[in-house]
Amino acid sequence: MKGKFLGFALGLALAVFMATYAFAHTPLCSCYDNGDGTITCEGGFSDGSSAAGVVMRAVDSSGKVIIEGKMNEDSEFTFKKPGDDYTVIFDAGPGHAVEVPGSEITE
Amino acid sequence: MKKLMFIVVGLAVLSLSIPAYAHFQMLYTPEIALEKGGTVDFKIVWTHPFADEHTMEMTTPKAFYVLSQRGEGKVKKTDLKGKLKPITWTGKANAARAYEASVKVRSMGDHVFCFVPGPYYDKHEEAWMQQITKTIVNVGGIPGNWAEPAGLETEIVPLDKPYALWTGNVFRGVVLSEGKPVPNCDIEVEYINHDILMDKNAFARSNYFEAPQDAFVTMTIKANANGEFSFGIPVAGWWGFAALGVGPEKEHKGEKFNADAVIWIKAVDMK
Repeated sequence: MKGKFLGFALGLALAVFMATYAFAHTPLCSCYDNGDGTITCEGGFSDGSSAAGVVMRAVDSSGKVIIEGKMNEDSEFTFKKPGDDYTVIFDAGPGHAVEVPGSEITE
Repeated sequence: MKKLMFIVVGLAVLSLSIPAYAHFQMLYTPEIALEKGGTVDFKIVWTHPFADEHTMEMTTPKAFYVLSQRGEGKVKKTDLKGKLKPITWTGKANAARAYEASVKVRSMGDHVFCFVPGPYYDKHEEAWMQQITKTIVNVGGIPGNWAEPAGLETEIVPLDKPYALWTGNVFRGVVLSEGKPVPNCDIEVEYINHDILMDKNAFARSNYFEAPQDAFVTMTIKANANGEFSFGIPVAGWWGFAALGVGPEKEHKGEKFNADAVIWIKAVDMK
């Protein structure tokens, strides 16, 4: 009986811990077309922490990396627009990536 | 005869007390939790949002600007006074001068919109009024300066994100005057009780809810000794909070002057 309760308490604690972990650092990224042949992406986390240094990639339809860089100190990344069929990836590590399809990037 | 006189006077007092609903400076835009940046359209109206029994004539605004911050980034101030355009707002009883503004908001994060109206002379109260108003818009869910004082002479600083409230949540705030908490002040709370017709610059005629008694039209709550207040949100929609007479300025043109601090919140239903 005591063991069961301990197991339950541990499970609950783990669940709470995992839930906190999963939600405290949701990565967020948004991109817009500057209208001058460049795209600017800005990123961050749901807890307000900076995205400076986060790896940014643009891949073509086959998944090939065509642009790679990092978020600057203002959590922004500007790059030359690579045609129409591309996807931007904000890569803050496993489980912390955001994909933005080029088709959704507008002025 | 004396008795009749008493009744007449009593009725007169009663009828005078009826239009004493709270004045509210609206700084309204349909959505404050935006998925992406875009154009944010404001309607800036000086009215009684629950009963809509009288729309008041606005004077020339003193200031309108936005303080924007994404995450821990720098706070950026953008002056928006030039974006204000006079409009005529139509309520149930009358029409009066109000303002509108279309503002482009692009960056993710918080955008704290601050509006300082010109002083308004209230004939009933024989006093000047000014409601310094904040509406906070968020883009993309990244927090910023929502809980920071904007540096207004008087303001309500939220303790809960005003754009991320479910129906039934509690909204808390701190009333500040010259940056310091105002203990035990009165705060009036009102609900926008009508559809807002953005294209027609008008309130819809029908009410969402009926109040059982006057005390429910304008709810008055109190701040505690630390200037903090809390309010449980009973239904989705827009709620305004006005801390009364908390501004440092007490006189204007030789008469009484009341500066109130106003903040707007929007609650949404869980579906």
